[in-house]
Amino acid sequence: MRWRHIESLRVGLGIVALGVCTGLYHAWSIANPAIVALTMLMVVLVVAAQAARWVAVTMSVTATLAFNFFFLPPVGTLTIADPQNWVVLFTFLAVSLVASHLSAVARNRTHEAVVRRDELARLFDLSRDVLVVTDSHQALASLARSIARRFDLEFVAIAIPKDGEWGILTAGSVPVDLDTRELSHAFAAAKASLEFDAHSRTYAGHRTMVVQGRTVQLVPLRVGARPTGLLAVVGRLVEAGTLDALGGVVALAIERTQFLDDRRAGELARQSDALKTALLASIGHDLKTPLTSIRAAAANLQGQYLNEADRQDQSDLILAEVDRLNRLFQDILEMARIDAGAVAAEFRWVYPSEIVAAARDQVGHALRGHEVRALTADDVPVKLDPRLTAAALARLLENAAQYSPDGERITLQTRLVDDALELQVQDHGPGIAACDLPHVFDRFFRGRSSRSRPGGTGMGLWIARSLLEIEGGRVWADNDPATGAIFTVRVPVEVNAAAAAMDTE
Amino acid sequence: MTTRPRILLVDDEIAIQRSVGPLLRSHGYDVDVAGTGTEALKQFAADAPDLIILDLGLPDIQGTEVCRRIRLTSNSPIVVLSARGTEGDKVNALDLGADDYVTKPFGPAELLARIRVSLRRVATEAREDTGRLTAGDLTIDYDRRRVVRQGVEIRLTPKEFELLTLLARQHDRVLTHRAILKAIWGGNAVEQPEHLWTLVAQLRKKIEPDPANPRYLLSEPWVGYRFASSPPD
Repeated sequence: MRWRHIESLRVGLGIVALGVCTGLYHAWSIANPAIVALTMLMVVLVVAAQAARWVAVTMSVTATLAFNFFFLPPVGTLTIADPQNWVVLFTFLAVSLVASHLSAVARNRTHEAVVRRDELARLFDLSRDVLVVTDSHQALASLARSIARRFDLEFVAIAIPKDGEWGILTAGSVPVDLDTRELSHAFAAAKASLEFDAHSRTYAGHRTMVVQGRTVQLVPLRVGARPTGLLAVVGRLVEAGTLDALGGVVALAIERTQFLDDRRAGELARQSDALKTALLASIGHDLKTPLTSIRAAAANLQGQYLNEADRQDQSDLILAEVDRLNRLFQDILEMARIDAGAVAAEFRWVYPSEIVAAARDQVGHALRGHEVRALTADDVPVKLDPRLTAAALARLLENAAQYSPDGERITLQTRLVDDALELQVQDHGPGIAACDLPHVFDRFFRGRSSRSRPGGTGMGLWIARSLLEIEGGRVWADNDPATGAIFTVRVPVEVNAAAAAMDTE
Repeated sequence: MTTRPRILLVDDEIAIQRSVGPLLRSHGYDVDVAGTGTEALKQFAADAPDLIILDLGLPDIQGTEVCRRIRLTSNSPIVVLSARGTEGDKVNALDLGADDYVTKPFGPAELLARIRVSLRRVATEAREDTGRLTAGDLTIDYDRRRVVRQGVEIRLTPKEFELLTLLARQHDRVLTHRAILKAIWGGNAVEQPEHLWTLVAQLRKKIEPDPANPRYLLSEPWVGYRFASSPPD
């Protein structure tokens, strides 16, 4: 409507301009038809170059009539005496038509270029959206949302056939139910033919269907020539070539997410293989050494050649090695339970001092020969999983005992920090080598010097960290240059405020 | 009374030291114990033992390296303890001059048998050097290139004789496939063990009383062969 107004205005202005010319030439008594004709032609050209064709025609007819009436003899009539003047008239008409046509073509091209640039920009933005997507579960849904947003569409659906079913991800403000049979037809058609239409820049397989009174545009998603799914859009009419390009971007995005999934799966398989190798190597060594010692010691006991004290020593050795095997098996079982996801957190109210006592109790055998100093600040009820926390703490205490020279003190501090219970185990051992710090919680990792220390399974710290993670806690290691290694545990807890207040009174 | 043979036990596991030490002592050996490779080399230099029991997984120096350094100066038998489950280390140690190996978890009898065999090898080597070897009813005359069993000469091809001589001259020691292939066919043949299988089969047919149950040419599965100077215990 507005467009029409502007065009009428242009006609009006053109006619006024023609009138002014006519008036001026009359006033100045210039009657040379060539001058008048050229002037009028200029006005017609200027208007036609900017306006639609009907404006140009109107202008040229008006100019012809005015020229004829006012300047061609016999002046004051619309008749033409000299046949040569017919030529002038036709020239007028032809020039104005050609000019308006040329300008219309140029304007159309400009408009097309603007539209294409706009769609290119949208496609570009979309492809950027595709690149930042990494999680395949979210990828396609967010891709559909991106298309709807970038292209101002009311509805977008990405449909992918999988094992005879259609997986459809939709986005947009208007829900549209797609008929899967219709989709299957369109998909089969896309599979059957692959022709490129150079004019509309599209491959075969585009379809339009009407669902709930709305026009749904369907375009096959192709990777190379192979269709992998369909894209359906509703709303603004997207040009076919753009839709095709859009389909290409979506297909690439799907391909990319599948590739990422495959790679992740490959990575996981590789990690699991590496883990199995480490497990076999580590457990192989840890199992064989005690078994060898037990066999030799049992043979020594069987023979009659040892005195009583040596016999006692050999049976002690057997018991110690059996304990070691037992711990190893417990660790393996615990590890398997964690890997299988069979450990779940159960949150209960408990005093931190109870956790400390339980942990010390669990590893009493390892702490023999060490002085454990427990400093429990803020001993108020907290809500956490006491079982997991105590088990993890026990592993840390066991580790500290292993790496501390006999008789050295192990300090265990407990306090509340913000909304977390902090447990800190500090030993008087050699500390952790800087290069080992990032790996101490890795499964089967043992510090470089630890080979000479029997008893460690390489699983303890990993188990501690895994147990804490199950209840949302974490653990990290540090060195205190003055003493040794410090392991800090932080478990988010609920604090019984009333009890805390009573405690401080 | 002869002096008790001295054994150097090299293992970083206290439990092994505590159990294997008394086992060896009670079977007539004097035992020194080392927990690291450095310590082992030091003790070895200070008081040359008659035999070394060497764990391959040491905390400081690789067991194979300890083996190589000992072989630079000494011919004392080395029995390797391997627990890694990887054949590679064991075979490397044998290639570097170790005599024999026991895989953890080993039984005490197995270890003691290996020790006896290795010590006997050194003892007979010292006595012999006569150009001939007699093992059971088999006599090998190196100089005349003759092999006689129960008074009957056995005709061997040059390659068969070469293989028999190679194993018999280092009797009771495990020679790896690699070492044998290299010695008989040259360095290019080390990746072609099928030559060796064929030759061993031929040789067994000629010298073994029962080729299906070898008495002299014993296989060490996946490792190599040994020539047993006396029947297995």
